[in-house]
Amino acid sequence: MTDERGVPRREFLKSAVAIGGAAAFSACLGREEVDVPTGPDDLSSYPQRQHAWNEVLPRDDHGNVIAPSHRLLLYLNYRRDGQPNEDDRDQVETALRGIEHAYERSGIGLLLTVSYSPAYFDRFDESLSEGVDLPDPEALAPFEDPEFDTPDAVVHLASNTAQVVLGAEEALKGNKSTLNGVDQPDVALTDVFSLTDRRTGFIGDGLPAKNAGDAESVPADKVPDDAPLFMGFKSGFKKNQASEDRVTIQSGPFADGTTQHISKLQLNLNQWYNQDDRWQREAKMFCPYHAENDVIEGAGDNLGNSSKIDDCKPTDETAREMGVVGHSQKSARARDDEDSPLILRRDFDSTDGGTASLHFLALQRRITDFVDTREAMNGTDVTEQSAVGQRNNNGILQYIRSERRGNFLVPPRSLRALPPAQPARDAQEVTHESS
Amino acid sequence: MNRRTFLKQGTALSGGLVLSGCLGRLGFETQSAWRDPPLVEDRPDAVYYPAIIEGMGMYGTTTAGDLGFALMHSFPHRFWNLTGSRKTKVIVQSDDSVHLMASVWDTETETILPVDVSVEISNSDGRVSSTNLWPMISPNMGFHYGDNIALPGEGKYDVTLQVGPLQTARTSPFDGRFTEGQAATMQFTFDTAETYNLEIRRLGEKAGIRGTVDLMEMEMIPEPVVPTKSELPGRLLHEGKSGDATILVALVDGDHRFSDSDGPFLIVSPRTPYNRVMLPRMALSATLNRGGDAIAQGTLQASLDPDLGSFYGMGLDELETDDTVRITVETPPQLARHDGYETAFLDMEPIEFTVE
Repeated sequence: MTDERGVPRREFLKSAVAIGGAAAFSACLGREEVDVPTGPDDLSSYPQRQHAWNEVLPRDDHGNVIAPSHRLLLYLNYRRDGQPNEDDRDQVETALRGIEHAYERSGIGLLLTVSYSPAYFDRFDESLSEGVDLPDPEALAPFEDPEFDTPDAVVHLASNTAQVVLGAEEALKGNKSTLNGVDQPDVALTDVFSLTDRRTGFIGDGLPAKNAGDAESVPADKVPDDAPLFMGFKSGFKKNQASEDRVTIQSGPFADGTTQHISKLQLNLNQWYNQDDRWQREAKMFCPYHAENDVIEGAGDNLGNSSKIDDCKPTDETAREMGVVGHSQKSARARDDEDSPLILRRDFDSTDGGTASLHFLALQRRITDFVDTREAMNGTDVTEQSAVGQRNNNGILQYIRSERRGNFLVPPRSLRALPPAQPARDAQEVTHESS
Repeated sequence: MNRRTFLKQGTALSGGLVLSGCLGRLGFETQSAWRDPPLVEDRPDAVYYPAIIEGMGMYGTTTAGDLGFALMHSFPHRFWNLTGSRKTKVIVQSDDSVHLMASVWDTETETILPVDVSVEISNSDGRVSSTNLWPMISPNMGFHYGDNIALPGEGKYDVTLQVGPLQTARTSPFDGRFTEGQAATMQFTFDTAETYNLEIRRLGEKAGIRGTVDLMEMEMIPEPVVPTKSELPGRLLHEGKSGDATILVALVDGDHRFSDSDGPFLIVSPRTPYNRVMLPRMALSATLNRGGDAIAQGTLQASLDPDLGSFYGMGLDELETDDTVRITVETPPQLARHDGYETAFLDMEPIEFTVE
């Protein structure tokens, strides 16, 4: 099926979120034959954890959560200097509820979080509530020099339906009087915030190959047709992800919240696909054992619900004996006392700016958990004792460049609209029970 | 129309189309030299004269802090990527414009640093390319960093070269040095007439014979070589061969700068044959035997010293006459290889000798 300009339907959908805007949205409506249920009138049953997505997302045959395929990150600056006022809080909450009424909370519907940066909390005289670990972003490897994102807030919109992401965005900008047949409020999120950046992306079987043409430097026909990510392998295995419980803040006024790290990683797919072979890619992404023993078929769906890192030897051994350590092999070292990973990946690929990249969005109870995980991934300890380089043969570090980093707090739902730095203890019970 | 005339006209037309067309249109000589240069048949498992030697041009040098940076260019070329003992032939891609190379050194001691280099290239339109260069070794350049890069066309580019801290150990003269990253900014002008007219030396009948060409003389850059046998400190214990690399083993005793602890220190200094090119990025270990019993075993720590360059070392309690020393290569030098080095330093047997 093609439209009047000859753009095949599937081709159009993949790029629609990247393009955005009202035209892309209305064009999507005609192309995606999906009837997305509206959300409830009464939203009071919605979980306090904004990040509680797993319960409403589909799972694959192995029990792995299937990440929502279309993504949008709206980077926002609060228009007012100083501390926010109650009117603005009401407007933000009202705007968010508008899109929640329009689309049900599900994979084909809409999933969203609103998060706030350390720079936002600097507006307050008092420091951020104790028990929230939210430092300013910093370089997380001695060889990287990223720029730091310091918008006040980031809204993350996710859906398996492209038009939902686009429609929600348009409504938040005040461009929709009705959305999915539901009347939208008169107020717009963008009345309170200015949009400073818009990052888009996708994840899911086949999407990277379909999007490859939108980015320069993606080698033609090299990204496997069924791969969920540009680098050709599946990620987000159940056993390699922290649970939502593990990443949730347990106490204090921001209990039920989480912290979020978002980095933009540029991918060098030319080196990955044209200069390495399949053995090297398997060894570097997983571990040399997997490459030697043909453990991985295709994108790795056959691995089941884990990346089977237990089969790999310890990093220091493979580093000395094989001259290479795998990304998963290194990262798996960052675990808590109960053997759980520390971070919950909700990352996705992108062709923003015409460049193949990865928006690495991760949730964790404390930003420190992310820092520890990244430190394990750096493998500095391994490089000091082996022929493994700072980047070369050191997982996938050769192929990624950290361009931007930002830290955010995803507060509980009741505090998602311009939270104070020190919320009152009972804040979670007072706001917005009507609507 | 000869090739030079074509290039000049191409330059006048400008733009990526002309450039990417160059690879396909310049005629058999150049295209074959870049895309799939002749590979010698029956290559020895050793350093050998390749069929051709690619010329190299200098874009310039600069300093940042106490580090020197050099940026060099050649036409895109084939190289071999290495993971463990497994190599991948990297062929020139149709959109590759230039083979970009970099070297980094300590300006105080003129010591070449094995620190991974990343480059970010931009022009007036914004960023056009960024990559993490591969550590490499080639016959006329020795140890350097490089990769084939696609550029959108001829013209002026800004480039930022960035390195992290030195990942190896270092001896006391380097205490506290190279512990942080450093970045240098340079400019270069990509001119196909300049880069694509660099000399291609054909080695004719020499091709395939064991040996190699001399390193290019580069006045502005320290040579990536390690000391001669006679320049090594202490007592030379052994000169061994493994995978065609020369491996010198020396012992320093008494007061020395190589470790904090007392006792003799074993220095292992591997290098290429013929040119003494440094061989960083190896994993080596040593076992000492006395009367049939292992009396010590351990890792030879990769290290950097202003006089020795890249070397591997280990502190010992003692070493006596008639002790045997066995040095095992756990990982061969993890360096991408240009033609002439891709069959050497891969299958590396242990060396063993008795202390005299």
